[in-house]
Amino acid sequence: MGLGRFARLLWRLSWRLQGSWRRWSLWLLLAVLVVAMLVILVWLAGRYEASQVQSRIERDTADAVADIRSGLARNVQSLQALQANQPLPAEWGGAAAQLLRVHRELMRLEWRDAGLSLRAHADTPYRTMAFDAPDQELQVSSDTQLTCAAARRLNGPSYSSSYFVPRADGLGLEVVELCLPLTRGTRITGYLVAIYGLPEILSDLIGPQISRHQEISFTEADGTRLASLHGAVRRGTRKFSAQQLLDLPGSALVLRMDSWQGAPNLFPNVLTALVTFMSIALVSVLVLLVKDNRLRLQAERDLADALAFRKAMEDSLVTGLRARDLEGRITYVNPAFCKMVGFAAEELLGRVGELPYWPPERSDEYLARQANRFAGELPPRDGFESLFMRKDGTRFPVLIIEAPLINAQGLHTGWMGAFLDLSEQRRIEELSRASHERLQATARLATVGEMASLLSHELNQPLAAISSYATGSLNLLQQEHLPALGALAGHGSGRPAPAVSADLELAMRRIAEQAERAGRVIRSVHDFVRRREQAREATSARDLLDAIMPLVSLQARKLGVQVRCTLEAGLPRVLCDRTMVEQVLLNLARNAMQAMDRPGVLDRRLELGVRRAVSGERGGWVEFSVTDNGPGIPAEVAARLFTPFFTTKPEGMGLGLSLCRTVIEQHGGFLDHAPGATTGTIFSFTLPAMKPA
Amino acid sequence: MEPGLDAIVFVVDDDAGVRDGLAWLLRSRRLLSETYASAMAFEQMLQSQEGAGEASPPQPCCLLLDVRMPGMSGLALFDTLVARGLHAAMPVIFLTGHADVPTAVDAVKRGAFDFCEKPFSDNALVDRVEQALRRSAEVLAQRRAAKEVQARVTDLTDRERDVMRLVVEGLPNKLIADQLDISVRTVEVHRARVFDKMDVRSAVELANLLRTAAE
Repeated sequence: MGLGRFARLLWRLSWRLQGSWRRWSLWLLLAVLVVAMLVILVWLAGRYEASQVQSRIERDTADAVADIRSGLARNVQSLQALQANQPLPAEWGGAAAQLLRVHRELMRLEWRDAGLSLRAHADTPYRTMAFDAPDQELQVSSDTQLTCAAARRLNGPSYSSSYFVPRADGLGLEVVELCLPLTRGTRITGYLVAIYGLPEILSDLIGPQISRHQEISFTEADGTRLASLHGAVRRGTRKFSAQQLLDLPGSALVLRMDSWQGAPNLFPNVLTALVTFMSIALVSVLVLLVKDNRLRLQAERDLADALAFRKAMEDSLVTGLRARDLEGRITYVNPAFCKMVGFAAEELLGRVGELPYWPPERSDEYLARQANRFAGELPPRDGFESLFMRKDGTRFPVLIIEAPLINAQGLHTGWMGAFLDLSEQRRIEELSRASHERLQATARLATVGEMASLLSHELNQPLAAISSYATGSLNLLQQEHLPALGALAGHGSGRPAPAVSADLELAMRRIAEQAERAGRVIRSVHDFVRRREQAREATSARDLLDAIMPLVSLQARKLGVQVRCTLEAGLPRVLCDRTMVEQVLLNLARNAMQAMDRPGVLDRRLELGVRRAVSGERGGWVEFSVTDNGPGIPAEVAARLFTPFFTTKPEGMGLGLSLCRTVIEQHGGFLDHAPGATTGTIFSFTLPAMKPA
Repeated sequence: MEPGLDAIVFVVDDDAGVRDGLAWLLRSRRLLSETYASAMAFEQMLQSQEGAGEASPPQPCCLLLDVRMPGMSGLALFDTLVARGLHAAMPVIFLTGHADVPTAVDAVKRGAFDFCEKPFSDNALVDRVEQALRRSAEVLAQRRAAKEVQARVTDLTDRERDVMRLVVEGLPNKLIADQLDISVRTVEVHRARVFDKMDVRSAVELANLLRTAAE
């Protein structure tokens, strides 16, 4: 199991290595092949040169052999000519000396009779040889005998094998004998023996142009050197040799020619190889270039297409795009962004520091934000809101989503920001909020109207009855002197006074009944209110603030108000009817923001505070405060602030604050207001804290 | 014209307290009243009267009608009265809560006598009731007179009726004679008989009588 996994791991590793190794090995193989080819090229070139030299030397050798052969043949003729006229030995001596003077290769000529006895002889004038030994003249050497025997047999010239003739000076000479049978008719009358010196053959019979450059030598078949001619100095280190057999009738010699040549020069070959290599390289580079160029063109076309695509995309976007480098310089803006802020791209590109579309009053804040960004603080992923200024000075809210700009090398080169113009969205939000509020107000008004109508009807009935009885009673009392009504109305009794008093009594009883009925109506309303009191629950102050915060911040954004919440630590929960108290808080917050919605109020701050109030007998109280820094409340308004149906707003009902106070008082707390520290107003109310269980 | 002692005030209200209180108040001002707890009950009473062959109420009367009632509302009842032409002889005063004021105003435009907002100033209401009763009495008297004239006209012969029509048109006897193709003498006889039967002394008086009867 473990082994298998190990094997698999190895396999995977080797596979990965193989990938790169295979790529490299291909290159390596190629390089090796090229080098091998070049080496072979150089070697072949060298070999070719060597074979040229070799073949030349062989040709020279063959020429030399032919020269020698023809020289010998001519000599044979000259020798035959010597014997042509049957000369006397004395005449023969002169002719022979003459011949020897011309042919330096001939060492000696001997005329022997058929019995091989010497009849006459002549020696070359150029050398003194040891032939003069007396014994030699008398006795015939074995070589001569053998040669003449062969000549007789052949009936033609025959050569002996070479032999060494020592000289008087201690040196010697390899010689070859030629035996030429002298015939008259078919009878052999004698022999002409000519002795050739081998070195002289080499030097005289071979053309000088051949012997000039080579060392020419005669060797025996086994390689023993017999004579040699050093034609030239050794020029090179390498020896080229050629051998050629010189077969003579009765004998055979090997002509060997040696030539010392410099080894075929490597350099020109390397140069050739280099040039070849260069050409190969050049061609392949050319091919590569063409291919590369084609690829590049293709890539350029693709890039152009991609660029056009990107441009179309950017131009069609309604989202503004802006890129900045790490120094904060604007490097790119798209048309949507330009349209949004109203500046041309040229006016924005390259700008650094304070940007033209920042509202001047906020530029400090934005600079700080920008500094944070470049210090490496990441922006929120889902963007943040900000306020920009158009060229005409109007402000508009934007949603900014920024992300670091990472280039192809993975380096952080700047920031790319996407901008959404929120003014339209804000306007719609505002519209919907306003219409929603109007609707709510209408609904509330309708409910209040309904309630009032119902209540007034319920109270009207007993009141109407009471009023009727009372008026009727008064009428009766005024008419006491008149005849009893009872008679007229068919009430029986004829006695006026008791009838009147009975009638009055009845009326009074009815009045009491109706008054009680009215009281019941009032009590039912009271009961209704009491039922609401039972809906109280323990709620944390944080929850109350959180519940109203969305609505508050919506309006705050519109009016440019900064909202701040301060909660004291460790606050107890409060016991309240959540919905009602939220309404109270919302109402106070809205009043506060509306109070600041005046052109003169530039620094608009709304503070919602919650703290522990002075604890009373019934346990603790929690005080909520809503602070604005508007112009404050004039004294004459303050006096009537909580009066129902008193309002300073054109569309107000004048019920808000009075209802707020009622709600708070129902909870047992109190709602009050005081002027702020410098400007503005603080509205505060208390709610009972939850007693710790 | 005084409504007389037999004038009667109908009170239709679903609230017993209001009903009794009003009755008590009216009684204190020596007015007879009848109370009904619903529009339906009142409607039934009216129908029983009509069943007895009475086209108009027998005596001057008026109706205090609550607008808001369960079942048939005051307005629905008023509509049936208007449809039957009873609202002239029986003026209707609406009793309303404040929320019903526009509907009540609308009703007044359609022929109701008045409306009164609860809680009402009671004696003022009774004053209005008395005015309504007077109106009722007038209407009834007028109707009675018209009925009498009608009866006299039915007594006339056809020829006398022709002559009367032309007399009322203001033609002199001569022309009447020409038109009817009778002698002037005969016209004078018919004319005298018409005056006698219609209990008038002049053509002008006759024309007035007929006009009031036609209204």
